[in-house]
Amino acid sequence: MYKNRNTEIILLLAVFVIATCGLIYELVVGTLATYLLGDSITQFSTVIGVYLFAMGIGAYLSKFFNGNLLAWFIKIELLVGFIGGASSSVLFLLFPVVTSFRIMLYAFVLLTGILVGLEIPLLMRILKEQVSFKDLVSRVFTFDYIGALLASLIFPFVLVPYLGLIRTSLFFGILNILVGVYLLIKFDDQISKAKLILSTAIILLVIQLVAFVFSDSILRFSESLAYHDKIVYSTSSSYQRIVLTRSKKDLKLYLNNNLQFSSSDEYRYHEALVHPAIEASKKPKNILVLGGGDGLAVREILKYPFVQHITLVDLDKKITNLFTTQEVLVQLNKGALQNKKVTVINNDAFIWLKENNQIFDCIIIDFPDPSNFSIGKLYSTTFYKELSKHLSNTAFAVIQSTSPLAAPNSFWCVNTTIKSAGLQTQAYHNYVPSFGEWGYILASKQLYSVPSSFQVTLKYLSPQVMQQMLLFPNDMLATKTIAANKLNNQSLVHSFEEEWGKYLEQ
Amino acid sequence: MNRKEFLQMTAAFSGVGILQSACKNTPSISGKIVGANAAVGHILQKKNSFIPSSTINIDTVIVGGGISGLSAARWLKKQNYNNFLLFDLDKNVGGNASFGSNNVSKYPWGAHYIPLPNNDLKEYLNFLQEANCIVGTENNLPIYNEEFLCAEPQERLYINGVWQHGLVPNTGIDKEEVKQISSFLALMDEYKNIKGKDDKYAFTIPVDDSSKDEVFTTLDTLTMKQWMLQNNFTSTHLHHYINYCTKDDFGTEHHVISAWVGIHYFAARKGKAANANNSDVLTWPEGNGFLVNHLKQNITENIVNNILVTNINLLNNKVQITCINTLTNTCVAYLVKHCIVATPQFINATLMPWLKDRNNLVKSKMHYTPWMVANLLVQDVEEKYGVGLCWDNVIHQGESLGYTVANHQLISLKQPLKNITYYKPLTQSNPKQARKNAQNTSYEQWKQIVFNELKKIHPNIKEATKSFNVMLWGHAMANPYPGVIINNYRETLSNSINNKIHFAHTDLAGISIFEEGFYKGISAAKKVLLS
Repeated sequence: MYKNRNTEIILLLAVFVIATCGLIYELVVGTLATYLLGDSITQFSTVIGVYLFAMGIGAYLSKFFNGNLLAWFIKIELLVGFIGGASSSVLFLLFPVVTSFRIMLYAFVLLTGILVGLEIPLLMRILKEQVSFKDLVSRVFTFDYIGALLASLIFPFVLVPYLGLIRTSLFFGILNILVGVYLLIKFDDQISKAKLILSTAIILLVIQLVAFVFSDSILRFSESLAYHDKIVYSTSSSYQRIVLTRSKKDLKLYLNNNLQFSSSDEYRYHEALVHPAIEASKKPKNILVLGGGDGLAVREILKYPFVQHITLVDLDKKITNLFTTQEVLVQLNKGALQNKKVTVINNDAFIWLKENNQIFDCIIIDFPDPSNFSIGKLYSTTFYKELSKHLSNTAFAVIQSTSPLAAPNSFWCVNTTIKSAGLQTQAYHNYVPSFGEWGYILASKQLYSVPSSFQVTLKYLSPQVMQQMLLFPNDMLATKTIAANKLNNQSLVHSFEEEWGKYLEQ
Repeated sequence: MNRKEFLQMTAAFSGVGILQSACKNTPSISGKIVGANAAVGHILQKKNSFIPSSTINIDTVIVGGGISGLSAARWLKKQNYNNFLLFDLDKNVGGNASFGSNNVSKYPWGAHYIPLPNNDLKEYLNFLQEANCIVGTENNLPIYNEEFLCAEPQERLYINGVWQHGLVPNTGIDKEEVKQISSFLALMDEYKNIKGKDDKYAFTIPVDDSSKDEVFTTLDTLTMKQWMLQNNFTSTHLHHYINYCTKDDFGTEHHVISAWVGIHYFAARKGKAANANNSDVLTWPEGNGFLVNHLKQNITENIVNNILVTNINLLNNKVQITCINTLTNTCVAYLVKHCIVATPQFINATLMPWLKDRNNLVKSKMHYTPWMVANLLVQDVEEKYGVGLCWDNVIHQGESLGYTVANHQLISLKQPLKNITYYKPLTQSNPKQARKNAQNTSYEQWKQIVFNELKKIHPNIKEATKSFNVMLWGHAMANPYPGVIINNYRETLSNSINNKIHFAHTDLAGISIFEEGFYKGISAAKKVLLS
């Protein structure tokens, strides 16, 4: 069939490209899985294993391909280029929206593996008539393994640093398709409907080129954000910029560049935020959570079987949706937001409190820090007066109140403000490595006393630790008296700006 | 002092020019000149052809539903006096405190805040308590409803290319000038507590409760600018600032208003609160429309809207009031024992042409500045360097008084759309000429005027504007020229006619502030109740 030596060289070069591309796709998906899901050992070994296994499936399936083998080869080549090339873009896009990301990930690995696995056996069958078997095996596998070496060297040293994941896979997708197109043009006399296949190939090529250009701008944007860890997801809601990052050891959520939690130590924060208030409120049944759209506070509350209903009011629907549907995040909050006891309401907490007159047995407030005048309203006398109307006589509310070490005057300003709204307060603090020293204030119509025991098993809290948390060393006391924070003075926002500004300069 | 007067001026000077311009529009930005009512314009032109079809007898009629009229009505009602009606030309009462609304918030068309009240104004404080503005007392000081106290950040000034905190210039200014400005303000603070020989405050509210001590009243012989220069306040930035203040409160520049009134602006307000500073103000998205709603709360059945009063006469020891209902075009006469005329004096001159001497005095003494107010609905406005958006945003030496943000007081966290209210007293020429010019300015031209100024601080203002509406006030407020305090024309004009027709309006106080209207209304009501 293929009489001249040129043909053989062209097809062997194709093997080389296929091998390089095949390994690149594997590496891209493996790296991407590590970025998104963490745990590089698990991700790489499962991705490589599934990929090799899929290649085996492909090799097995190759025997069912008959007739014009060259035409099949070219069609598969185009398909590999398209699917492999699009893999990283599609996976990045799917990560935030699908519930079972792993299934999608391995489906991609499987599909690419099968297609790549089909190619070598087909090619060997194409070439078998002009080359002796021992030469064929020797040449095909030589090119195959050289391609693999090339891929494994350029991937870490050239591709990831200079192109990034999305563009790397698109680049090799384009390369794959170009090989297909070249073969089509070269052998168009041997392939029926060559024109139709060619026009399909060109459409695929254009799609990937457009994606390549587009990904470039996305990439530059994400690189411009200075996070230490890899950004695995970022989006903007109408209220804030949401960025999720992943490093070797943890997952972090940033809202408008402010760290909300790190999965490695958030339990310290959320245990300290939730359990003192719940224990003090004496078996609360009906609980309100303001802010806390990540569901992590709700996760803690759900540990108590006597809790009957939790109302969560968070402004940002994108956040609550993300933490209701996204697999990794749902794992983190243990599906708290999907729990039957939980009602999620997306509304402005202040407005919601004004418009409702429900009384709660316990209220957990997890607002962002008062870094601007809008959020400052949620720390005002007017807000706490409104809050007081929703607290039963035995209920305790807890308010996350920034760091008493970084911003002592701001922390104690919150305390003063709550008091001036007619509530009793109890301030406490603990150490959360990724935040530093952090402060909380209990507010209630009653006096607080440390419980003799906590009714649930906790990683961090105990009555002894709680006792300690009530002690404030001198460097966490206010350095001057700060007036209560009111809508008409926003004294908290002013002092917060000043104190954190100084603290971060150090 | 509302669209009524402007319409009358319109009709008198240039027919219906303004009504035509109200129709023009551009496709991208919605809006128009609001307040022009063609039906009323037509009736005004042939008002003398209307003959009353019947005569109705009641005890008292109040003409005009601005703050003075509403306050009079409220007072009557509070004393269980029920046999009265209040007529207003507009479909809503409120006069200068009228407001509009869209799906973002309500927004003011005129008066939009009140300063912290003086603590000796018992009736006024009681009213504010009724209106839920005062929610309690602490150490004998009122506790104000913090939702109504103007929220931080309150004021910023664009000066030398930067937005600074507060309206008193301090950025990029010569040290000498800064010193002068602070000594001026310190002097004004001193004036706050100074009393005259008669043991009355030199400057207080109501104006007529101020000391008659000549040491202070002679200040009324000078203009504010003359007084400043005489006292070595020469800083140009200070002069610009004072000029802004006098335009803001009195609609006139500091080189024409009385020095007494200029100082009164700074020294009369001595209000103290348990939870606010003396300089704080109370404000609402709808401006003083909020207070209007409380004033009228118990008198809604006494209010009749869409009533054009054409004549007030004395007839057989009674007062005859001729009115046209502008919706039905019917004409009715009312025969009453008392009439409280709560309209400005230039209107009264047309209602009672038979008061020749009085009308001549009005003509020679009373001058009113026309104003333009624009409400813009904006989104994603580009900002210049410095302090972010505040409630009140002023351009130093600007043509206008800048703008306030109507939805500033709302508590919701994110408000991408803003209703901004732009105020511009038309002071470039004499009031009469300015009124004429204003009538001849089209909607498109107003838009251009506003954008031209605002683009200095918001380069993309044109693209950021979704809707643009304009209201013109032909006679927004009376100008307190020198003599307003020492000449006795205000006293003469305040005298009741035959103890039957009583006058209540802020132009009789000399300055147009809420308290004056509130107390003018009460004293007119008291006159009715006495007899």
